Amino acid sequence: MTRAEPFDLVWPCVAAAVLGYLLGSVALPMLASLGGGSSNTPLARVGFVLREDPHAPSPEWSVLDADLQAVRAPLASPQRDVFDLVVAVRGMDNGGSSDWSRAEQICRTLAWPRCDRDALAQLKELSRP
Amino acid sequence: MSSVLAKRALVPLSIFVLALLIGYTRANGPRARFARAIAALSDSERTALGAGPGIAICNAIWALGSEDAVRKMLRSELDRLPETEGSARARVFIRFGIIDSNPDGQAAVFFQACAADASLCDRARLITAAERETHARLVEPGQHLPLYLLSGHPQVP
Repeated sequence: MTRAEPFDLVWPCVAAAVLGYLLGSVALPMLASLGGGSSNTPLARVGFVLREDPHAPSPEWSVLDADLQAVRAPLASPQRDVFDLVVAVRGMDNGGSSDWSRAEQICRTLAWPRCDRDALAQLKELSRP
Repeated sequence: MSSVLAKRALVPLSIFVLALLIGYTRANGPRARFARAIAALSDSERTALGAGPGIAICNAIWALGSEDAVRKMLRSELDRLPETEGSARARVFIRFGIIDSNPDGQAAVFFQACAADASLCDRARLITAAERETHARLVEPGQHLPLYLLSGHPQVP
């Protein structure tokens, strides 16, 4: 038995583990989303969460970040800012916890008549589609 | 010789499959739950999901936006929504009528709401729908029912 033999046995296993994990976590979900039809798109997933009760966030919201970016990207200003405002008050990029200071900041940028906490808290419910 | 080769290939292959499953489960678990929840909806509900973000933006502008922001949003909604989306277009017309200060303008847009959604030709239903919109508006103008709905069109002497 030479010294190289244990290494010869180990490296294919390590390579198989790395390759398998990468394919499983990146390539398969991409293929699955390509074959999943038009109903399971970032727009549909964000739409689904927006429909949900804003006071009962779900753990699934943690995977929304990429979807939110995909929905936000094609929007022009000021719709993009309004979308950011909705995301902030609904806490969609924060596990359901509202980011009031960011929401107020966006609201003031939009120069809207009311940006107080009470109004933004009501927006949480009123923005539901 | 071949059995040694098979053993050498079998172990990495097993590890590859196991890693593939772990990677897929970790990355796709929450998305799979989304997919199942979306698949459980009816066809019309699934189709409506795609419009959700746009409606949320419009609702936010309606709730807190300035009059100028609301008018721009309503105009772009009327351009965007096809005639087949009758109830959505009717909602836009109702919002237009609520922020319009001119009774003639109010009459015209409420008539268009009725044309877009026949159920709103019934005055009581139109008032109910308009009240729902005024409650969803947190700033003026638009927090009160317009004169046209409260008392009809003013009499011209």
